[in-house]
Amino acid sequence: MTTTTTSAKLLKLALPLIKNHGFTRETLSLSVLSLPTPLAHPLPDASVTALFGPGDDARRTLVHAWLDDARHRMKEEAAERMRMGDVLKARLKSNEPVLEHLPEAFALLASSSSLPLPLLPVDPAPIIKHAAEVSDQACWIAHSEARESSWYTRRVSISAIYLAAELHQLTSPRTAPAFLDSLLENAEHAGKALDETALFASYVWKSWRGIVRSSGVLV
Amino acid sequence: MLAGCRFQAANALRPLTRTIACRASNFYTDPSKNQDPGVSTSPDISPEQREILDRALRVDQAGEIAANWIYRGQFAVLGRDPQVGPLVQEMWDQEKLHLEVMDKLQLQHEVRPTLLSDVAKAAGFALGAATALMGKEAAMACTEAVETVIGEHYDDESSQLKDFESLPSSHPSIPLLRDVIKEFRDDELEHLDTAVEHHSQRAPAHALLSAVVGGGCKVAIELCKRF
Repeated sequence: MTTTTTSAKLLKLALPLIKNHGFTRETLSLSVLSLPTPLAHPLPDASVTALFGPGDDARRTLVHAWLDDARHRMKEEAAERMRMGDVLKARLKSNEPVLEHLPEAFALLASSSSLPLPLLPVDPAPIIKHAAEVSDQACWIAHSEARESSWYTRRVSISAIYLAAELHQLTSPRTAPAFLDSLLENAEHAGKALDETALFASYVWKSWRGIVRSSGVLV
Repeated sequence: MLAGCRFQAANALRPLTRTIACRASNFYTDPSKNQDPGVSTSPDISPEQREILDRALRVDQAGEIAANWIYRGQFAVLGRDPQVGPLVQEMWDQEKLHLEVMDKLQLQHEVRPTLLSDVAKAAGFALGAATALMGKEAAMACTEAVETVIGEHYDDESSQLKDFESLPSSHPSIPLLRDVIKEFRDDELEHLDTAVEHHSQRAPAHALLSAVVGGGCKVAIELCKRF
């Protein structure tokens, strides 16, 4: 129990160090220097392994901690009546301090596999899960009155949009917000088109129902 | 057996409790109480407790969706019947209120709704319409079977012996949730009584029908907890 609390505390202290040291075991070992009563030396490698896991597992723990922290900040910094675009832009902005280290972070996530024999050379599941979590949080902030019929479809589309925008940000950070806006606009057009199709289909259905009823076939 | 005895006791005490307490669901249906912390905030609880709350509210919401569509199906067939039509309408109106409250609870606690909501609608409508086509007594038998399972489910949820025991009563939303569940349990038991009073027991193959419908409801509850 004490070990879990200690590692959680150290993970929190390690987050501001990622900007300069990356998602590395070195960052984790330097975290003890930021304690209220700091240690004299960084943690030895064996201690990092004991607290956070061997090899790249420790680095993945740090990546997950950073992603969780970014998600919590999304909720904390959410203002009243924030639109979806603003929420996602704020989340993209929180990537900026560590942008140069993010490609490696995603590669770390993709190279992990819970299966004993990896079926694919890269595992897309952790990245999809990250996009799904961001989209879930964004939807709760921006669309708090969503009805159950569009709950899942909205989240799937927002997670795809966010993932595309984030990947765009890794290569071209300055144009990422505009790219995000264009994706959201396209999604809105597509959504409207689907709604109008459904409305038209309901008119056709009602017409046929009325015709069948008035024909006297069903008594 | 203990659960059965408690269920009977709740059934017996129902008229008394309803006259004494005002309805807990008013907190959700009355717009003036929108900003009340019991209605607008969710407690800060551990992931395990969050999972318990999530599952409970998901399955409750799914149940109310299914109940709404069962009554819709029954009304589609029996709506014009002078005896049973108004009865089904009245019970359906109560279920609409339940669903409204469940929807608000789902949003308040940021619960993932069930993936199976469309299945619940289709299956509910089919069940309601099919039993109504079999006759008035069969429709009442279906109501009796469904309300028995739902009543027992709500009774289990609201009792101190199961899941909700671990949730903290310090946050105002949790005692309110328990009261809402108890109120809904009483409503469902009232529907059960109505169905029995209107000759559900005379339905053809009553035992078989009740077993099939009851069994189906229990399977649906387990599925909606997970999906």
